[in-house]
Amino acid sequence: MNLIRYASLGALAVGLSTGIGWAQVDSSAVADSLLLKQLQQAMQPKTPPPQQQAAPRSTLSTNPDVSAIGDFRSSYTSLGERKLDLYLNELELQVTSVVDPYARANFIYTFGKDLTTGAFESDLEIATLTSLTLPYQLQLTVGKFKPTIGKVNILHPHVFPFTDFPKIISNYFDDEGMYMEGASLSWLVPNPFDFYQELTLETGRIGAEPNASFVRGTTSQLTYSGHLKNFFDLTDNATLEFGLSGLNGPNRFGFSTSMAGADLTYKWKPVRYNVFQSFTWQSEILYSDLRLNPADVARTYGWYSLMEYQVAQRWFIGARYDHSGFPDDTARKEQAGSLLLRLQPTEFQILALEYQYTDRNFDRNTSQVTLRIIFGIGTHAAHQY
Amino acid sequence: MLDKTMRLVTGVTLIGALLTFSPARAQVKVVTSLPDLASIATLIGGDQVDAFSIATGYQNPHFVDPKPSYILKLARADVFVTVGLDLEIGWTPPLLNSSRNAKIQKGGDGYCDASIGIHLLQVPVSASREQGDIHIYGNPHYWLDPLNGKIVAQNIFNALVRVDPDHRSLFEANLKKFNETIDARTKVWVERMRPYAGTKVIAYHNEWPYFEQRFGLEIVDFLEPKPGIPPTPSQLLKVINEMKREHIKVIIAAPYFTTESADLVARNTGGKVVILATSVGANESIKTYYDLFDYDISQIIKALQ
Repeated sequence: MNLIRYASLGALAVGLSTGIGWAQVDSSAVADSLLLKQLQQAMQPKTPPPQQQAAPRSTLSTNPDVSAIGDFRSSYTSLGERKLDLYLNELELQVTSVVDPYARANFIYTFGKDLTTGAFESDLEIATLTSLTLPYQLQLTVGKFKPTIGKVNILHPHVFPFTDFPKIISNYFDDEGMYMEGASLSWLVPNPFDFYQELTLETGRIGAEPNASFVRGTTSQLTYSGHLKNFFDLTDNATLEFGLSGLNGPNRFGFSTSMAGADLTYKWKPVRYNVFQSFTWQSEILYSDLRLNPADVARTYGWYSLMEYQVAQRWFIGARYDHSGFPDDTARKEQAGSLLLRLQPTEFQILALEYQYTDRNFDRNTSQVTLRIIFGIGTHAAHQY
Repeated sequence: MLDKTMRLVTGVTLIGALLTFSPARAQVKVVTSLPDLASIATLIGGDQVDAFSIATGYQNPHFVDPKPSYILKLARADVFVTVGLDLEIGWTPPLLNSSRNAKIQKGGDGYCDASIGIHLLQVPVSASREQGDIHIYGNPHYWLDPLNGKIVAQNIFNALVRVDPDHRSLFEANLKKFNETIDARTKVWVERMRPYAGTKVIAYHNEWPYFEQRFGLEIVDFLEPKPGIPPTPSQLLKVINEMKREHIKVIIAAPYFTTESADLVARNTGGKVVILATSVGANESIKTYYDLFDYDISQIIKALQ
């Protein structure tokens, strides 16, 4: 069949080239033209030309993959002077590539909004070098990264389905979680039951701004974190992940904070129709032990549980419950309930409408409605499971 | 009591460690993105190859979830075979990056891009997502032309020889047999389809150009208004009118699309919806790459008769 097609294409090519040849020769030189035709036929390549080789296979380049993600918001809050707001919350620029056969690099630069002044502040969020070829199933990352604490801290806000991170993240770290400058070593732990088990150990200093539990510190004391991830395929369509986390580092009172956490995630996604249906149930708990002074330790905890159900190819609904303390104040507590409606026209544009009611024991309760539009351009970002 | 418990724990741990670290079999461990590649790898490698496909045959290959359990498979793989052309861009990069396996990284001996040497169709002259979910290197569903299977087989053969040169003669013999079988069967498949050459059909998604070209069908429109964009009422109306005007009787779709839209169009036109397999394992009867075309040709002929 290929031969027939190649022969046809070859004949067509000969015909076309012959036609051009005829146009170029003098009309009186008929004999010459016959000879020319024979020569042209003889000069046709022996191997047939490839079919439909329309364009170059690619524009090869060693430039890194570049993408930009915008996060626009409109919100109504029942508390405060500025109840209604519209703003571009953040712009994130990502540049990523392999460095050489041994490592890859990832840089994320953000322009975030200061909601009070309206000014944009730029920040280097992520700058990492990650090994690809270490032996013994080890992987090393150095640079600035989000430490592996549970399931949410490692995410960037635009990847999390809800418009805000759970309260345990914002209350115990920062609105966008915790960052660390240092090293992260992860190991795929061999085990007799052959399930996925990954141990991650990290150390370094947190970013320039202190978060609620840790500071960068002025002594040699570093912040340490560890995470053990266990992942099980329950069926082809369902998975279960269970993780344990631990943290220790300097706090702003000049002492140390220790934390322990656990996370549990169940996902259901029918393999055949995974584009149309899915369900996620995810919960995390974090226990904090923050020393305020030689005599006092603040022992607090927080947890959340969320569910998201995909009702159609583009539509998702979700709910979340938060219960959280504050790491340095055992008296303060808040709880919140959130409802989410998410529309995802394509992978590059996501609209989320969230209602959240927050009940605080130290301030007035609030209701908030947030509309978030995430829009991305550039290289297709791969998503983690 | 404590001593007894400790002995038990130590014993279990040792057995586990022995199981985990038992000497690897001499087989070449091949992990592929799609089951068609695993089938061809098995046909070329024979007993010398242990092939595992990440995606199933009834799964949308654009949207496979990169479960951590696949990282374990890739960590131990000698060869990774990918369709390439960015078909799997949403899920293979995080898996490969986390595999900690230098052999199967791009450029490694065990990395096999099955698309090398394929004459690509629908290579766009400009790349813009205004056109939907486009593939900038060309349409990646090339394995649906059985003759392209020969190029895939050659690429897999090259990778197998790189990682296991001792079994070159076995792989060579199997490659020859594969090529002969494909040539012989393709003649049969093309002959069976010859009476229906030029028949116009509708497709759900643009994944059939290689199949269409090889077997002489003419896909005139799609239920998706643009690749990756779900069917819209206006697009379905357009297709219904086209089917009535052009007397088109068949809508072809892959197993991983819901059939509501196709059924709706079929009801309004008197047409038929045919679920064709896009990959090995789409149903239990499709066990090999050869079975894939046996099944699809039979299904389409049944619908066109």
